[in-house]
Amino acid sequence: MTAIIGSQVQIRQRDFKDDTVNAIEVSHLTKHFGQLVALNDVNFSVTKGETFGFLGPNGAGKTTTIRILTGITVPTCGDAKIFGKDIVKETIAARKQMGIVHETSNIYTDLTAWQNLMFTAELYDVRKAEREKRGQDLLELFGLWERREDKTNGFSKGMKRRLTLAMGLINDPRLIFLDEPTSGLDVQSNLIIRDVIRDLNARGVTVFLTTHNIEEANLTCDRVAIINRGMIAAIDSPEKLKKTIQSVQSVEIALDPVPHQWEGLRGIATVSEVRKMGDKFRLITEDPQTVIAGVMAYAERHNTRVIGVNTYGPSLEDVFIKLTGLEIRHHGVKTVD
Amino acid sequence: MTEQAEWFRQLRVEFIAAWAIAKKDMIIYYLKPNIIVSGMLFPLFMFLAFAVGRPAEPSVMIPGLIAITILFSASSIEPVSIPIERRMKTFDRLISAPVSLHAVVLGESLSGFLYSIGIAFVPFIAGIVIFGIPILNAAPLIIGILLTSFCFATMGTLFASYPTESPGDIMSMLNVVRLPLIFISGIFIPIESIPSYGQFAVYFSPLTYGNDLIHAAYSGTTYFNPLVDIVMLIVFILIFQFAANRLYKKFNE
Ligand SMILES: Nc1ncnc2c1ncn2[C@@H]1O[C@H](COP(=O)(O)OP(=O)(O)OP(=O)(O)O)[C@@H](O)[C@H]1O
Ligand SMILES: [Mg+2]
Repeated sequence: MTAIIGSQVQIRQRDFKDDTVNAIEVSHLTKHFGQLVALNDVNFSVTKGETFGFLGPNGAGKTTTIRILTGITVPTCGDAKIFGKDIVKETIAARKQMGIVHETSNIYTDLTAWQNLMFTAELYDVRKAEREKRGQDLLELFGLWERREDKTNGFSKGMKRRLTLAMGLINDPRLIFLDEPTSGLDVQSNLIIRDVIRDLNARGVTVFLTTHNIEEANLTCDRVAIINRGMIAAIDSPEKLKKTIQSVQSVEIALDPVPHQWEGLRGIATVSEVRKMGDKFRLITEDPQTVIAGVMAYAERHNTRVIGVNTYGPSLEDVFIKLTGLEIRHHGVKTVD
Repeated sequence: MTEQAEWFRQLRVEFIAAWAIAKKDMIIYYLKPNIIVSGMLFPLFMFLAFAVGRPAEPSVMIPGLIAITILFSASSIEPVSIPIERRMKTFDRLISAPVSLHAVVLGESLSGFLYSIGIAFVPFIAGIVIFGIPILNAAPLIIGILLTSFCFATMGTLFASYPTESPGDIMSMLNVVRLPLIFISGIFIPIESIPSYGQFAVYFSPLTYGNDLIHAAYSGTTYFNPLVDIVMLIVFILIFQFAANRLYKKFNE
């Protein structure tokens, strides 16, 4: 797939010269909808060429953030700059540099795939020769070229999503916003989209994506912000985020026979939580060594054998559950451990 | 680039975007059944309801029919297209494009404008072919049709700013305004015969000025000075355009 991208969509290293270091700079962003505080003093910046992920559960404020950064809604207070341009005061100049892939695949279902693309290109002032060239490249890249003359109302969900992405890229933006680009898609569509994101990143395009898929954030993002209830709980690279929570390492054990009463596993020293996963158990701990010894003793006492042991470092999922879970329990206390 | 050159460049971009929006609407909405009903049949029935049984001359009735047709057809596209686009979320595309809201408003209005010009041809041709009514002066007819169409198309876009996803909501609001306009604009009731308490309302109806111009093409006389008609229509267009721009902005916050 990468080879196709390389040969067809010009793999020109984008060299954008201007004084700003950051593609996005957000400070003290707050958004109220009536009583509801959708964003609460959000601060972050995205450097040029970075793939930045916004990871959070439903209603966290991800789409609201994108809508503010693209100038669709205005913040209640705080401000946001796109390549140094204030999105409220210099909206048009800021928008000229960006492509947007909205949360819903908002294509015109009464138009063909080609008409959809060309319409978007005209909105973004892409000259005729260029838009036709890019239009063909993008449709080929997203596997839609054969369907270009078809009205899109017959398109599958994945095809609509891919067309939406093509429309977001038709103006060759230096910054692209992707609001849940892959949610609900099959493996094939997912792979195409992930490849495209990697390729964009390789060409120096800044990518801002939202997701609630932790694996996606882990695989594609240079840095991830975890957002919950309108507040940023942590921002770091996926690896560093995992390191911040050594307390959620885990030991997975398989016992034969599987004990019916396994609550005793909770009593093992340093175990903070036990999750039954199929025929195995996952014991969360900050000290795997102690737990393994404890498990052996437990097996002896309960006439069962340990037939498998695996230890795991913290996953991004653990970080996420830990951070967002804590937020919910302590109502707005920001804590990493 | 100098500031002025940049300004002109952006102006060009705005017009290209507006035209793209209009083309898109033409492809998608011109053939939608509810638009055909509200844009073509509705004015015809309205007209028949009031005109039949009156001893009026075709040379009075035809300009009236043209004016009513424009009133209804020009403002029938956007009140349908914009709520549907809100529902389909394609509206977000328009309001996140690198152009001002003026371009979006203009683009939306253009499709209604062109639509109503096309439809106004029907009564116009009928007047010539069926009734053999002569046109005394083409200039007020052309200017009248163009300005009236544009004015009511922009009015349609203005009403469609109301943040709903249901075209019916906007259509009913619009009819609260459109229907009374017929009676205070000198179409069936000459302005002189409108009772004095209704006289002042005449001046607030863009249809008054549009009808005056179109009528002049057939009768050779106007109630107001034709220049007054033209200026008033342009004033209404500007008011609608800027009000729409403001409201679209407001409802997005
Ligand atoms: N236009 C609006 N009016 C009122 N409340 C809104 C509006 N838009 C968003 N909200 C509220 O703001 C909060 C954040 O919504 P947002 O859509 O940003 O969440 P999200 O992180 O994108 O969630 P999801 O993963 O479900 O897409 C939610 O509580 C939502 O109900
Ligand atoms: Mg969302």
